[in-house]
Amino acid sequence: MGMGLYVAQRVAWALVATFVMLSLTFGLLAVTPDAQQAQFAFQQAQEGASADEARETYQRVTGKDGPLFDRYKEYMIGMVTGDWGWSHTRSQPAIEAVADAYPYSLMYGIPATVLSVVAGIGIGLYSATHQYTKADYAGTFLAFFGVSIPNFWFGIMLILLFAVHLGWFPSYYDTSHGVWTLANAKQLVLPVIVLSTAAIASQMRYARAESLEYVHADFVKTARAKGASEWRVIRHIFRAASVPISTILVADILGLLFVASYLTEVVFQIPGLGLLSYRAITQNDTALVLATTLIPVFVAIVGNLVQDIAYTVLDPRIDYGDR
Amino acid sequence: MGDEPLLSVRDLRTYFRTDAGTIRAVDGVSFDVRRGETVCVVGESGSGKTVASESITRLIPMPPGEIVGGEVVFDGVDLLSLSDRELREYRGGRIGHVFQNPQGALHPMHTVGRQIVEAIRLHRDAGKREARERAIDLLDRVGIPDAAARFDDYPHEFSGGMKQRVVIAVALACDPDLLIADEPTTALDVTIQAQILRLLCDLQEEFGMSVLLITHDLGVVAEIADRVVVMYAGKVMERGTVYEVLENPSHPYTLALLDCLPGRGGAMRPLGGALPDPRDPPSGCRFHPRCPHAVDECGAGDQPAMGTAGSPGHEVSCVYYHDGYDESAIRERRAADSNEGVGRADGGDGR
Amino acid sequence: MTGRPDEPPAADRSGEPLLRVRGLKKHYPITEGVLRREVGRVRAVDGISFDVYPGETFGIVGESGCGKSTAATTLLRLEEPTDGEVLFDGADVSAASKAELKRFRRRAQMIFQDPTSSFDPRMSVGESVAEPLRIHGMRDRDRRRRIAQDLLERVGLSADDVDRYPHEFSGGQKQRIGLARALVLNPDLIVADEPVSALDVSIQAEILALMRRLQEEFDLAVVFISHNLSVVREVCDRVAVMYLGEIVEVGPTERLFADPQHPYTRALLSSIPTPDPRERGRGIELTGDVPSPSDPPSGCRFHTRCPEIVQPDGYEFEQVHWRRVMDLRAKLDRGEVGRESALDLAAAQSTATAGATDGARATGTPPDEARAAIRRAFDLPEALTDERAEAVLSEALGLVVDGDSDRAAALLAKEFSTPCERRRPRAAAVDDGWSATCHLLDGSRRSEGVEPLPGRED
Repeated sequence: MGMGLYVAQRVAWALVATFVMLSLTFGLLAVTPDAQQAQFAFQQAQEGASADEARETYQRVTGKDGPLFDRYKEYMIGMVTGDWGWSHTRSQPAIEAVADAYPYSLMYGIPATVLSVVAGIGIGLYSATHQYTKADYAGTFLAFFGVSIPNFWFGIMLILLFAVHLGWFPSYYDTSHGVWTLANAKQLVLPVIVLSTAAIASQMRYARAESLEYVHADFVKTARAKGASEWRVIRHIFRAASVPISTILVADILGLLFVASYLTEVVFQIPGLGLLSYRAITQNDTALVLATTLIPVFVAIVGNLVQDIAYTVLDPRIDYGDR
Repeated sequence: MGDEPLLSVRDLRTYFRTDAGTIRAVDGVSFDVRRGETVCVVGESGSGKTVASESITRLIPMPPGEIVGGEVVFDGVDLLSLSDRELREYRGGRIGHVFQNPQGALHPMHTVGRQIVEAIRLHRDAGKREARERAIDLLDRVGIPDAAARFDDYPHEFSGGMKQRVVIAVALACDPDLLIADEPTTALDVTIQAQILRLLCDLQEEFGMSVLLITHDLGVVAEIADRVVVMYAGKVMERGTVYEVLENPSHPYTLALLDCLPGRGGAMRPLGGALPDPRDPPSGCRFHPRCPHAVDECGAGDQPAMGTAGSPGHEVSCVYYHDGYDESAIRERRAADSNEGVGRADGGDGR
Repeated sequence: MTGRPDEPPAADRSGEPLLRVRGLKKHYPITEGVLRREVGRVRAVDGISFDVYPGETFGIVGESGCGKSTAATTLLRLEEPTDGEVLFDGADVSAASKAELKRFRRRAQMIFQDPTSSFDPRMSVGESVAEPLRIHGMRDRDRRRRIAQDLLERVGLSADDVDRYPHEFSGGQKQRIGLARALVLNPDLIVADEPVSALDVSIQAEILALMRRLQEEFDLAVVFISHNLSVVREVCDRVAVMYLGEIVEVGPTERLFADPQHPYTRALLSSIPTPDPRERGRGIELTGDVPSPSDPPSGCRFHTRCPEIVQPDGYEFEQVHWRRVMDLRAKLDRGEVGRESALDLAAAQSTATAGATDGARATGTPPDEARAAIRRAFDLPEALTDERAEAVLSEALGLVVDGDSDRAAALLAKEFSTPCERRRPRAAAVDDGWSATCHLLDGSRRSEGVEPLPGRED
């Protein structure tokens, strides 16, 4: 089939998936009762006007009285052009609210991802090649610890210890610092640690398991028999294990981060996407809920696309025609 | 052939420490390989033949494996005393390895050419182009048609027999003095096996090297061995030239093994009993619980010292070949033996 | 005998065969694309016919890819056959209903190669052995247990083993348990797919002896599938040799092994290493590539590797050279020999032999060298013994070196065409119950005492 065609095919699928997902979301929204509408109608009813009329007015004003297909078209066009609705709790377009919050999520998200991937794979690989040694047991312990411990409790404990008692780090996030300042870096340390522990743990376990598959493989023996150094042998193992590891790399990590970030942001009061989403949900801000839910979905789709392509690049055995 | 053997293994002991006990995989094994000759180590599973061959260049996983004793003298140097770095110069450089399963022996994500080139450049100061040319030449010499084109192919694009040829090419990359081949043809079809064995013979002449071949197949032994070492449960039972051992088999185990061969017009006689537990091997001769000729001495002390059977180089670890015993008893009793002498009362595998 | 085209020759056996297989085929489609378009077929089993009589052991032997394991599973309808019929005790298995199939399964059982993976690790050995009883309606648990214990004893284990788990047993013991499980319903036929291949030589001998004993005790017919010819020789009364989905020779074991008629059987037998060091290096080596079952060669499937391939009409030269000329033809047809490669070869060879004392190295013009290089690459002599053949060969090589490989291929195809590639051979009776499917025997070249069967010609 050829790689170019394969990539094009994958991208096309990604677009189809996006389209389907957006349509489904629209469908769900269309049948969900609008809280604002209910509230408006209630208010009007309290003041003596007709609730039905109030509903109709509301719908006319917000443009929700048109035929379903028109609304669908408008919605889809809006999605593509960046008009994601109006956030009534923040009095700004939803997309602006997202754009404001996103950088904060990235600020701890990127270091946490990088740290967990590098450290996770590194520790996993080391564990696999030094099986049954103390280092291996220590790594496994760390993994279980990281996976078992609830992030929000861990975050609070860290704040208590390092911020309140020891005073090394601030106990909450102060947005007044510039992005690239040392103060900003300091206040990001604890959130990054909290987020990484779980991610490192799962990444490490997986990397260890996949590497173990190959540690005792015959080609490893062949490499040693050639006179290769241990370091070169580890590179060989990693190359072979990188294929299955890459399959979870993108999807898993991102998924993990986007779930955990709610708790981290709430605990540390970082005004990122998680906190935004949390507040939008509790305050019934539909447009904002939609926007903040869609972001992770897009990330997941793109992530899967990247992963699919990476997989075929890494493993020459895969025949494009089979997929 | 020089006076000193190229490889001299003396009283090699390799144990594996596991939670379930210490497995004495190789428990005092000695044999020589002279220059230019082919030595076959024969045994069934659990005999320790693979572990012995891998101990020579310390390829066994350590932990849990551990070479607890003996020496492996290669061209005057005891390999067991070398540091890892020093040993690595021998591995691939002067001693080449071929393993059993061609399927897994090559890295699935590197081209075969690259894998041969790696072997070359680990020991020689060759430029990329020079290494590439040598690799193509090697592929050609092991019988891969269209070698230059196939240099860039991946292992999965080769058939089983072809893969094994590539593995051999990798092993020969640096013109080793000794090639250690562990069951190189077991995973292959019988017609391909014949081709590979022939290839090994031809290459041995061409490269002027010694071959240590591990196998369970006595037919393979007959086909290419100069000398034979028969192993059982971590010890050597019999040693000699291929004619001595196969035409005049002297150890009861060797005899039993030959009797187990099928397809000889009804002469197949199964051997009763089971392989001993490697964590708790029998005292005295390891084979005595299954041996139809066992006497009390056989269970006492250690594996019997080597006695001679017929010619001076033909050694047998059996009390019947010591002074005071009549070795012909083994052959006579064997002829008259019925099934009742073979196997135990517990029937079946007796475990 | 009705003389139907694909019936094997009449075997002198009293009574009716227990199992009759006629024209059994199993193809696997190769699909491509989202819509699963069929672009080809893997012809794993492509028309085999044989009979198995009650109480006899019938062997099917062949190398990997010949289709013998597929034949085993298709025989018992563990996989659906693509074509052909399987008659068990007169009844057509391939057309059986579910109920009939279940009854069939009581009478025909299977044992597999890998003793470890053929048991559910969570079931005790007794439960595994008794499971067929449960499936076929025996509800009394105590009775099942007693039967299982009895069978374990009969295969050489102990009744106490009934509650132990598979991982507690060695490979040989597990294979005994497999036998017990296959025998629990008292079948008439057992299909054994490589039952001893995964076992050590000493254990193998025991299991073979056990199978022989059980066969007599239970009065079983056995279809024994193996790649190991010595094993087959030990236990089988009759044997069929398979190559690329077809049976090339079938007959009584001892006689077939003593005097094989088909060239493949001869090559196969000569490849078996015997433990006699005086017999070294006597094997017949097969050249050429192993074909793929999805694209089998025309005519006789073995012709691409057959050392005894029939020479073309009107020419007569050394058989060994003829084989190599055919190899050259094959490569030429595939486009793997051309002007470029020939010149490369010549250059490579001259650098390789630079300094060699081979006096025959002529320093001719490049085309001459290229032609000589091709000859050397295919181990052909400087001149074939047949002058006219040599002329054809020279001309063809000249065309290759001039860059016209297609014409060279066409020339060789026309002049050096052999019946082995043109027509499929017919089964020829060698003796009672013994036939081989080869042009050397079927009348293309009449040999002494061998009569071709009436049959269709392709």
